[in-house]
Amino acid sequence: MYYDHFVIPFLVGTIFMFAVIVWKWGRWLWMLPGGDKRAIGRGIFSMATVRAVGEVVSECLLHRKIFRVNPLLGYMHMSLAFGWFLLIATGWIEAACVLGGGTPLHAHVFFRYFDPAVHTGWNPFSFVMDLLLLMVLSGVALAWFKRMRSRAMGMKRTTKHVLIDRVALSSLWCIFPLRLLSESLTAAAKHNGGFLTGSLGDLFAAWLSPDALAVCTETAWWLYSCALGIFFVAMPFSRYMHIFTEVPLIFLRRYRIRSEEQPKSFDNFQIQACSRCGICIDSCQLQRDLGIRNVQSVYFLRDRRYGRLTDEVADNCLMCGLCEARCPVGIDLNTLRLNSRQQRKDAPVLTRYDYLQGIDRSVGTGKVGYFAGCMTLLTPATLQSMQRIFEAAGEEVWWADRDGGTCCGRPLKLSGEVQAARKIMESNKALFAKHGITTLVTSCPICLKVFREDYDLQGIEVLHHTEYILRLVRAGRLAIDSSGEAFTYHDPCELGRGSGIYEPPRELIRMAGTLAEPEHNRREALCCGSSLANTVIDDGQQLRIGAAMTAELEQTGAQTIVTACPLCKKAIVRNVSVRVADISQVVAEHLRPVVGSRAAAAETGAAASRSARPA
Amino acid sequence: MPQFGFSISQPRAVNLDTNDTVPAERILQEVPELQCCIACGSCTATCTAGNLTSFNFRRMHTLVRRGEYREVYEQLEKCMLCGKCRLVCPRGINTRAVALKIKKTLCDY
Amino acid sequence: MENKDKRVIVVGGGVAGMQTALLLRERGAEPIIVEREERLGGKLAGWHKLFPTFTPAGEVLEPLRGRVAEAGIEVRTGRTVEEVTPTGVVLNGGERLDGAATVVCSGFEVFNARIKEEYGYGIYDNVFTTVDIERMMNEGRVRTAQGNEPRRIAFLHCVGSRDEKVGAHHCSKVCCITGVKQAIEMKELFPTAEVYNFYMDIRMFGPGYEELYRKAQLDYRINFIRGRISEASQTIDGWVQIKAEDTLIGRPLRMSVDMLVLIVGMKGGASNGAFARSGGLTVAPNGFMQPRDAFFGNVASERDGIFYAGAVTAPKNIGECLNEGAAAAERVAAYLKL
Repeated sequence: MYYDHFVIPFLVGTIFMFAVIVWKWGRWLWMLPGGDKRAIGRGIFSMATVRAVGEVVSECLLHRKIFRVNPLLGYMHMSLAFGWFLLIATGWIEAACVLGGGTPLHAHVFFRYFDPAVHTGWNPFSFVMDLLLLMVLSGVALAWFKRMRSRAMGMKRTTKHVLIDRVALSSLWCIFPLRLLSESLTAAAKHNGGFLTGSLGDLFAAWLSPDALAVCTETAWWLYSCALGIFFVAMPFSRYMHIFTEVPLIFLRRYRIRSEEQPKSFDNFQIQACSRCGICIDSCQLQRDLGIRNVQSVYFLRDRRYGRLTDEVADNCLMCGLCEARCPVGIDLNTLRLNSRQQRKDAPVLTRYDYLQGIDRSVGTGKVGYFAGCMTLLTPATLQSMQRIFEAAGEEVWWADRDGGTCCGRPLKLSGEVQAARKIMESNKALFAKHGITTLVTSCPICLKVFREDYDLQGIEVLHHTEYILRLVRAGRLAIDSSGEAFTYHDPCELGRGSGIYEPPRELIRMAGTLAEPEHNRREALCCGSSLANTVIDDGQQLRIGAAMTAELEQTGAQTIVTACPLCKKAIVRNVSVRVADISQVVAEHLRPVVGSRAAAAETGAAASRSARPA
Repeated sequence: MPQFGFSISQPRAVNLDTNDTVPAERILQEVPELQCCIACGSCTATCTAGNLTSFNFRRMHTLVRRGEYREVYEQLEKCMLCGKCRLVCPRGINTRAVALKIKKTLCDY
Repeated sequence: MENKDKRVIVVGGGVAGMQTALLLRERGAEPIIVEREERLGGKLAGWHKLFPTFTPAGEVLEPLRGRVAEAGIEVRTGRTVEEVTPTGVVLNGGERLDGAATVVCSGFEVFNARIKEEYGYGIYDNVFTTVDIERMMNEGRVRTAQGNEPRRIAFLHCVGSRDEKVGAHHCSKVCCITGVKQAIEMKELFPTAEVYNFYMDIRMFGPGYEELYRKAQLDYRINFIRGRISEASQTIDGWVQIKAEDTLIGRPLRMSVDMLVLIVGMKGGASNGAFARSGGLTVAPNGFMQPRDAFFGNVASERDGIFYAGAVTAPKNIGECLNEGAAAAERVAAYLKL
């Protein structure tokens, strides 16, 4: 009953697909570390599950985040995903109503063919099904259109696909036109079509002889079933694996499972949830400014998934986080990139960095520690300004590294040498503990990020100097006078997207003058090109990225370009003729002079914090 | 030339007739701008690790370019990859890549 | 021939511009010098003595100024040129000066040492540039910021030259000898002071230069250390602590000095871009103007009627600028069929 040979390709494909998916997911879940498994146990009966369901509906079906990138692109994804979902769901209901429960799977999918009724008059199901089919077809048409004219849909570049993706894509594009054809041909004989398939069916009935119609109908259903079968077989190995994988990813993420500095099986959920939509390509400055087109996150994930990842691709990324901020699936692209590097480069350290034992070049004493960072030692204006700020606020400061210190460890971590980085971190941690500081201020966003995320500094609050200065101002320990000067501000990647610090520097700048924003700012800010995360691009390439970014800053017409990272500052200086200043310089220059007790405090502060000239 | 027993002292001259420059050439292929180093010493002067140890980055990559690899790997293990050297290099050499490539090449070799 | 057909606009009143104008006048042309500053002289007006002979700058500058005045050459000072064409220039404010030919002698800019922040110029008290030293010598008082006679002086070569990090791929050519000259002058002023020159390469290209270098080493006991300073910091008593590698030993070197002098390089003029746009000329990748060719077209631009003289096309010393002025005048005269 309800059987015809043409259902075989569909059935085989479906069974194969689900078997592969169950095997993949099962294996990944099984291989999760114990902690993650317990997290799932804790989360599954909590509100997290409810929220995850909501997110699945809004992201997997409606694709709300893509709508935000471009409405037309969003509609394309939504019509395909949500449209197809409704088509299946409504088809299921209709088949269950007409054929009753317990009918085999293919009877639902090919319902029009097995539909026993010869309809007369208006059938609401046919109408709804045709409407949904039209919606999906419009999505397919847009996908075609996007292939040819991606710009119109807000994407300058689309993903270059591998063979299996092309197979899956081609069969996917055939599925719905073939469904339209099959259902219309069936409707020609059975009159069970709606406004779309029914009308087309009437046309076919008028054109074709009953014999020809029968042959065409059989052929069309075969083709439709084959298209479905091919798609389902290709699907688990192609980018379309994302359709199902995004669902468990959302749940696991809600249960607070994250990718870490070493690869683990959860990464697979993230990697295979990538739909290769290619939204990450346009924003990438390596693509935009340098024309490098094989390293973007979509290609990195693809290469990693198929085991073809090379150092060239893994290392060629600024890790500026711009693509991560735009990724509609919310994949932790930087973390995955990092743990790929870890896997390729990390090695046991044994006696490495033993020389750090007991190294202490610090000077001064105080509850507040200041860690300039390696790069800040090359921007002495920042150091000098910080000293003036500390003096003005009467703060006693322990200077961790002004006479040369140790690296914070993040550059090594970014290159993948996690164990080596850990050794440096432990050495610094011991130093901080030894000097009993309670606040650690740093001028380098790279150091800031690693102090906050990897150091686990108990009892020590870590602040970037922008936050620290703003705190001093709010506490009334510093006052800033406005000069009315026109400033613009560049968000360093590690400070903005990396650490979420956008407003403190802006607040300080507004106290000193006026602030004009460049075209890309805050979450959308561009990278200066000097990122330590990239060890592949050469100096000329860094310069080109920096020049494109700096041009936007110059266009604001500001007299002074302000930033809050020594590396960014160095990169901007190379490209402009206007003044470039660290936020601390701006503050130090606009400090309201205070008469009286401050001078005495400044005197002692200076004496304590400066080093004596060696004999 | 036959060498009897073992000799503790290394030959004094850098012998470009016998030194193996294949690894060096592999590195130079990947970071070609290393070829234009003018040995100004900025990298070593600013070096965070060189400030604390005897590590001399300029000497190390020069030795490699001459086909002298003894101790280079061990010395490069001292590098913290902080990138100050890259920031000061007047020739725009990607010094961090040089450090990584030397280690990788000497390890593979 | 009408007067207007003999009028030549000379952009810039430094040594090259004055020399060009003087020799054009000798050949019967009507040069007009447009000078951005209030007085003629260009960068030379800021120098004290000239290498390698220690000739006072005034001995070159004053005769030139005097002869320009004597010859009654029209001079527009305090005006900048915004556009150049073969038939005249546009001054700031939009005024147009018509002529039959234009000679661009706008020279170079001194590298802004603040860009090399790691050396602390404008941040630490005792970091100076060679331009500051010339000025102090002209003022007759060379002192540290604390008003003391310097006891330990370090010169750093190649600041803003041969440095891709500041976009300067070129060698400024004259700074090596300037550094040697100033080191000697300092030693003469302060015989007990220690003087160190930190260099990457010493390029002594001119006659008498190498000899002066040798003299500096032998007679003045100036220490030449092969290594580029990577950064400087300030000590409590206002001294400057510098870090370099002594590359001949292969070890890092630290020292404190009470005067760090940055030997700043030459970069292309800031107005070169505007000249190129308005005149259909080319700015070379090094930022200087691109002459027609390196042999027979040194003082010609790619465009008939626009000529170059002096450091506008490359770093040059005073003598070379004077020669180029003469050569340009010759070419302009031929062009105007004078």
